[in-house]
Amino acid sequence: MFDGGRFMMDREVSRAQSVPQTLRRLGGMFAPYWPWMILVMVLVLIVAGSQVYTAVLLGQAIDCYVNPALLSGSGTVGDAAGANCWFERADTQGWGVPALLTGLTHLMLITTAIYIASAASRSLSFYMMSAVGNRVVRRIRVSLFRRIHSLTLGYFNRHEAGDVMSRLTNDLDTLQQSINFMMISVLLAVVTVIWILIQMLIINYVYGLISMALIPVMYLVTNWLSSLARREFRKARREIGNINADLQENISGVREMQAFVREGASSESFREVNAANRDANISAVSYTSALSPTLEAFGFLGLTVATLAGGLLLLNGGTLGGQAVTLGLVITYINLVQRLNQPIGQIAVMWTNVQSAIAGSERIFELLDEEPEIQDPPQPVAVNRLRGRVEFHHVSFHYNPDEPVLDRISLIARPGETVAIVGPTGAGKTTILNLIPRFYDPISGSVKIDGVDVRQMRRSDLRSNIGMVLQDTFLFNDTIMNNIRFSREGATDAEVRGVAELSYADEFIRRLEDGYETVLGERGSGLSQGQRQLLSITRAILADPRILILDEATSSVDTRTELLIQGALEALMRGRTSFVVAHRLSTIRNADQVLMMQDGRIIEKGTHTELLAQGGAYHALYMSQYQALEDEVPA
Amino acid sequence: MGGPGGRPGMNLPALKRALGYSLHHSRFMMLALGSMLVGTLAQLAVPQFIQDILDNVTLALAASGMAGLDSAGLDSLMAESGFTLEQLTAANNNPLQPLVVSSILILFFSIGRGVFAFLQAYMAEKNGQYAAYDFRNELFAKISSLSFSYHDRQRTGELMVRATDDVEKVRQFISQGLLMAGQALVLMVASLSILFYTNWRLALVVVPILPVAMLMFMFFGSRVGPLFAMIQQRLSHLNSILQENVAGLQVVKSYVREKSEQARFGKVADEHMRNSIRVSRFMSVMFPFLFLVANLAIVAVTWYGGRLLIFDELTLGQWSKFMLYITYIFFPIGQFGFIIAMATQASASAARVFEILDTDVEVRNRPGARTLDTVQGMVEFRNVTFRYFEGSEPVLNDVSFGVMPGETVAILGATGSGKSTIINLLPRFYDVSDGAILIDGIDIRDATLDSLRSQIGIVLQETVLFSGTIRDNIAFGRPEATDIEVEAVARDAAIHDFIVSQPNGYRTDVGERGSTLSGGQKQRVAIARALLLQPRILILDDSTSSVDLQTEQRIQQALDRLMEQRTSFVIAQRISTVRNADRILILENGRLAATGTHETLMESNELYADIFSSQLVDDSAALAEAQAGWA
Ligand SMILES: Nc1ncnc2c1ncn2[C@@H]1O[C@H](COP(=O)(O)OP(=O)(O)O)[C@@H](O)[C@H]1O
Ligand SMILES: Nc1ncnc2c1ncn2[C@@H]1O[C@H](COP(=O)(O)OP(=O)(O)O)[C@@H](O)[C@H]1O
Ligand SMILES: [Mg+2]
Ligand SMILES: [Mg+2]
Repeated sequence: MFDGGRFMMDREVSRAQSVPQTLRRLGGMFAPYWPWMILVMVLVLIVAGSQVYTAVLLGQAIDCYVNPALLSGSGTVGDAAGANCWFERADTQGWGVPALLTGLTHLMLITTAIYIASAASRSLSFYMMSAVGNRVVRRIRVSLFRRIHSLTLGYFNRHEAGDVMSRLTNDLDTLQQSINFMMISVLLAVVTVIWILIQMLIINYVYGLISMALIPVMYLVTNWLSSLARREFRKARREIGNINADLQENISGVREMQAFVREGASSESFREVNAANRDANISAVSYTSALSPTLEAFGFLGLTVATLAGGLLLLNGGTLGGQAVTLGLVITYINLVQRLNQPIGQIAVMWTNVQSAIAGSERIFELLDEEPEIQDPPQPVAVNRLRGRVEFHHVSFHYNPDEPVLDRISLIARPGETVAIVGPTGAGKTTILNLIPRFYDPISGSVKIDGVDVRQMRRSDLRSNIGMVLQDTFLFNDTIMNNIRFSREGATDAEVRGVAELSYADEFIRRLEDGYETVLGERGSGLSQGQRQLLSITRAILADPRILILDEATSSVDTRTELLIQGALEALMRGRTSFVVAHRLSTIRNADQVLMMQDGRIIEKGTHTELLAQGGAYHALYMSQYQALEDEVPA
Repeated sequence: MGGPGGRPGMNLPALKRALGYSLHHSRFMMLALGSMLVGTLAQLAVPQFIQDILDNVTLALAASGMAGLDSAGLDSLMAESGFTLEQLTAANNNPLQPLVVSSILILFFSIGRGVFAFLQAYMAEKNGQYAAYDFRNELFAKISSLSFSYHDRQRTGELMVRATDDVEKVRQFISQGLLMAGQALVLMVASLSILFYTNWRLALVVVPILPVAMLMFMFFGSRVGPLFAMIQQRLSHLNSILQENVAGLQVVKSYVREKSEQARFGKVADEHMRNSIRVSRFMSVMFPFLFLVANLAIVAVTWYGGRLLIFDELTLGQWSKFMLYITYIFFPIGQFGFIIAMATQASASAARVFEILDTDVEVRNRPGARTLDTVQGMVEFRNVTFRYFEGSEPVLNDVSFGVMPGETVAILGATGSGKSTIINLLPRFYDVSDGAILIDGIDIRDATLDSLRSQIGIVLQETVLFSGTIRDNIAFGRPEATDIEVEAVARDAAIHDFIVSQPNGYRTDVGERGSTLSGGQKQRVAIARALLLQPRILILDDSTSSVDLQTEQRIQQALDRLMEQRTSFVIAQRISTVRNADRILILENGRLAATGTHETLMESNELYADIFSSQLVDDSAALAEAQAGWA
């Protein structure tokens, strides 16, 4: 939204991997499909070979059957004596026109057969390649998605979600398009080019060398232009990431935007991001647009060189490389050069997409390579159902090194106890709770459950013992039923309803037209804020956790409903270790321990009654609420 | 949400409309088109010169036999080769000159062709990029103007795919497909004419191939079109899952649902893959088949041309020219295949983009709506009934009340009773279904949205901040506000002290959605943001629910002062917050159950008394103990 505020860090250090490295890595992903790839390779060879040999056959048609007819008159075109014929060759005297025609027809039939075989191979190779390519893309897509799950909350403090997502959508889509068709086309083109070059050398190496004189220049030009283009495409990929991030943020903040009449200004700043993307792309295509015409021009020149050289050699009746230059030879070369131009042109056309895909792949691999800051230990302590003794030992924590958030926190929650945490906003209550399921790791000190450091457990084991109601309610774009069931797959409808009755959510759910099958909008839109909290609580209860964490779970619920829920929760919390953060003191009165926090430290600790008796900060807090109503208490 | 999935084949209206965008910057388009014509003509000229070279070689070869011939021999040579005596003599005297001329011409035309082909490609790409730019700007403007009700239903991930990926596919067609089609057409028609001119009999061999290709394309378009639409749908679905998993990462992790979410994602990814493979199955039949047809035509031409050569009805140069021009006919056919694929894809994507652009904005300015000048702040709800969906149960039912300028109104009621809904109607986030809301006696639907909303400062129940600094966020509604003003409202919202305790002070980054702030800090920034507008009407929807009591009381003091001059609506759970309101509205299931002041309601309204007592901590024992311990 605000330009200054973008997270610039990972933008500027564009860890551009080297292109060969990226390509090798992409190639590696095809390795599991090697039998397919070998078959594809064979098919590609057939297609390329057919390109070459049909041109050779064409030359032979001229030399062996057409030219003799010309020779029979006096309009001699060169000397066909040196012609290399695979099949019976016409001699000037013995062959009449019908025999020449038959020879020609035979050759053309063979050519037809080759073309049919080539078409079949081409079709099959395209299909197989795309079948493999799409599987590879699917694998990358799924691994990227898996990678997202392994990223920590801390990662998203530093990176824009929209940009991260762009790698999974825009970058991957570019890659997919490339892999789908470009890759086989490029492969085919490259093989064809190489084969044609070799064939040209084989037939007559001097003539061959002359015909391909321009190839190295073409190579250099291509290389130069595409390295320039790639640099710009890298920028363009980043810019589309920015567009994504900007969109993402503005769509999710669209209500604020309208409330504050900022549509115009936001559109204005989007225009800037949008223009940056446009310009980066334009400057990238300025290079790729030059590539294809340049190569084409070179192709024409190559054609001229081959024709001219051939013509001159024919004129001088010469031999070259110890071999007679025949008309058929010249025609073969002209055709080969032409068949060279086509794949080269094709490579050039696809180059834009390929370059863009390479730039995209770099971003994809960058995300795949992201080392999760929080990982499972190599030898996790096996835990099953925890008893629920939670201990903090001198835990200190910060999000940014220069801003301590928790300062040597120590606490012990015995199994089954309810611990209430109170204190001003920003004291660090939520932060403490986030350390228990290991959303973050302490900077120093340790968090232990049942005497085992949480860092020694598998996260999935740890978390399946914890039910959490986050301060920021999050619901999915799904039915209410599925939203509640999210915490315990396989819970029956009846179980879900039962739990919803406990949490007083059932009442409002049943009033909805579609009841439990009501589909919620994104983040639960379509419900009032308090109703979302009720669902979130229901979801946590359904998990039947050993440790229950309620972070301001009823802050948006009206006080009467809250009282009702509290009754239910108290029954539920019996036997489970619970952590409760709340501002309304009625919620915390019955806790076994109350921790009063301030500025990242626990300043008072005890039961409600003990703390009141201390006459400290908790007492003051309590009095302030009490005072507010005290005047009104009916005598 | 459902795209135009079922529609068969290509969506021509959408495609046509998308093409309209390529004319937005007609300068680029014209340049591209002009370059295309010149470049293509230059391209067409080259085979002619190649023919010249070959013809000249033949001529020179024939001429080289001249030397020893008598006049009879010469005559037969001329008859045989079709050259005149002058030609032969010239060729004999200077066999190289015409070759050199042709080569220079080729060089010249190749370079010309290169330059114009570059201009064509560059201008076309530029045009495409500009069109995409326009598309995205329009989409953004549209998305930001669409009403809350639209966004309640719409998924962010879906919108984003349409604004990025779908636009990209339309762009590709505009950038590459359009000009490619033009070029292919010109090339094909011109080459065909040249071929007919050169040797019509030989040219006839080529003609039957064209309808075959046409049929092929039509078949392809009708089969693959729906697949492309489906592919985009799956892509949107994938992105929506992704979007939710990123936004709700903590919930997913809390309940250890990574595996099952991955399975869900994997399933859609599989479908997506299968669709993509299905498309390529069509492609991998179509393209090789086209190539085959083209190659067979070449064989036919070779064979038939060879015959003509044998019978001396064709010169060698003509023949090889034929072979060159024939690729100019078949290459475009291949290109058409490519273009059809691109166009089919673009039309599917364009339809998805236009679907957003064509969505009706439910809440919008009426024709002749007037600008609302600074209002006094008199608000009246007149028999307001409201439903979120047509035909559903009303969420607000016949609600009527009036508020005098400067009054503070508190709204109380159970969760889901319609409190937030009431205040969402005031800035017209939704329009009433029945009845009317008046400000200063004017129906708010007769005022322009901007002028109405800019007089209202609102703190929504769900706080959303934007990435950027704290200052940026507080000054969201008025970026031009001075530092002093920003600080003043930050003090009023009791957030100033926290801000200055941060190393970067007001320049502290808040992260996406304000993720680096605690819940109460976010709420206070949101309050400051609303206060900075100095609105005539202030709305606070449960805006201190995450703020601790003591801080809340500090904010309350500031608000009491600020609310004196404005009409204010306050939703809160705590009686202590609403006690001082001039008027308290009690909502029950969307109906106004009672209105009054704290005092009158305490006496007359059971519900209110009930709410009140729910907040009393029955703690006299502990309190007495504490006070005793104190004393
Ligand atoms: N993701 C984060 N990155 C940086 N700072 C954070 C982050 N989350 C919270 N903070 C800061 O840490 C402090 C404690 O926050 P929190 O634990 O959320 O407070 P609360 O006690 O209100 O729950 C606050 O000052 C807040 O600004
Ligand atoms: N965007 C929406 N779409 C459909 N129904 C909604 C929407 N927002 C709220 N509701 C429904 O309207 C009723 C009133 O909601 P709301 O006004 O948010 O309640 P509250 O009094 O808690 O603020 C609730 O039953 C809720 O389910
Ligand atoms: Mg918190
Ligand atoms: Mg509400």
